Amino acid sequence: MMEQTYNPMTLPSNDNVNAYSFSVDLNGQWFITKGAMIAYYGNITFQAVTAFASAQAWVAAKFSSPVYIHDWVVAEGQGKLILGDRGFDINSYTLEDGNLTIKANNLLAFDSNLELKQSIVPGFVTLIGSGIFLASSNGPVIFVEPPFRADPEALLGWADVPSPSVHHDAEWMTRSIMASVQGAFGRASGEEKQYDFTGQGTILLQSSEAVRRDNALMRLVESQTDLLAPHQAGQLGQRLVARAQQANQ
Amino acid sequence: MPFEQVNSKVVRAHVSQATPVLSRRGAMLGYDGRVVFRPVHGQGQGVGGMMGRAFAGESNPMMAAEGQGSVLYGYRGLHVVVIDLKGETLTCEADRLLAHDASLTTSVEMIAQGGIRQAVRGAVTGQGLFTTKVNGMGSVAVLAHGGAFAIPVNGQPVGVDPQAYVGHTGNLNVDLQAKVGWRDAVGRGSGEAMQLIVTGQGTVYVQASEEKF
Repeated sequence: MMEQTYNPMTLPSNDNVNAYSFSVDLNGQWFITKGAMIAYYGNITFQAVTAFASAQAWVAAKFSSPVYIHDWVVAEGQGKLILGDRGFDINSYTLEDGNLTIKANNLLAFDSNLELKQSIVPGFVTLIGSGIFLASSNGPVIFVEPPFRADPEALLGWADVPSPSVHHDAEWMTRSIMASVQGAFGRASGEEKQYDFTGQGTILLQSSEAVRRDNALMRLVESQTDLLAPHQAGQLGQRLVARAQQANQ
Repeated sequence: MPFEQVNSKVVRAHVSQATPVLSRRGAMLGYDGRVVFRPVHGQGQGVGGMMGRAFAGESNPMMAAEGQGSVLYGYRGLHVVVIDLKGETLTCEADRLLAHDASLTTSVEMIAQGGIRQAVRGAVTGQGLFTTKVNGMGSVAVLAHGGAFAIPVNGQPVGVDPQAYVGHTGNLNVDLQAKVGWRDAVGRGSGEAMQLIVTGQGTVYVQASEEKF
């Protein structure tokens, strides 16, 4: 098959160009992650969300996640905007007065009708309202229905289901001496921790990804250490130093 | 029950009391039903077998899924190929085993038994001196970088890039052949000087990438 050559008129409008890239028909504002833009036609400007938020207050209202704000850009103007992510499969999702929670690392872009909020589950964000958003996945997305238990690494997101609870495989903990020893030190070693979903809705899974360093995750964890008393924070710091030294050996 | 291919990177295995499934640790993506996971070390070969495996570098931490339900397996976004064994033997690296029916038996074999040429093959392909053999009746899910495909071998020799070789089934002889000419000596070689020559009757699995994982 011949590859089609596109021009601004023939590029798809809010649809996939192929499995790995997506063409947005931009007329207004979209939020996109840094580095997601591959190419564009037309008159489009890109501005960091942080800079944009100070000029236009609505941005701050739509993007209520200070942890992730550094990794995002506002694309504004008219034209066709092509987005991609590491050769991962790109899927678009249309929300109609709904909500969907997705791994922050896999969220690529969303239109400014949607609202982004940080999920209770670390590393995930929730999109609320009506509009389109794009997410990448390693391999096609697998949709399953609860009751279901998912490996945290493979979990891409969930829609219309209550937030998951953490299930610890008791069998695993008791059978594996190493696991229980590490468990006592608060270290995960394998398959003992799963996210447990119940209720009605849809769960999104991917083949677990080759982990990309998530800078926001560190900020997220750091912000949570505010919960600790000063001497507890000191203890945590010592443990982290010890772990870093162990990893270097 | 054979593994079900969900997409190019994920397989579904049905687990029941009679048919537990062994898999690489950390490869479970999710499951439904009443399934429990249990770490296992060396499949019932006693301490000797375990030590042998550890020594051979063919000791991947495995786990067993038992109970009743279905489990999704995948690993780091690598492509998965499902091979249904009906009594024949699959030879591949332990690294590449994503999951297999617990009814299958696995053993570690020294490829240097084939003589010095085989030992050289192990060194060149990065497989080392040991390889894993899986045999019996059941499904095996094997990992490959960039998708794998099967090439039938019927008498005619088939040449395979050592880095792209995934594994093979059937009665095959895998031999390393060096076609080093003067061009290689002056650094103008094709980069394909080393080839695995596969002969016999069977199937060889090849991945569409030269990347190891």
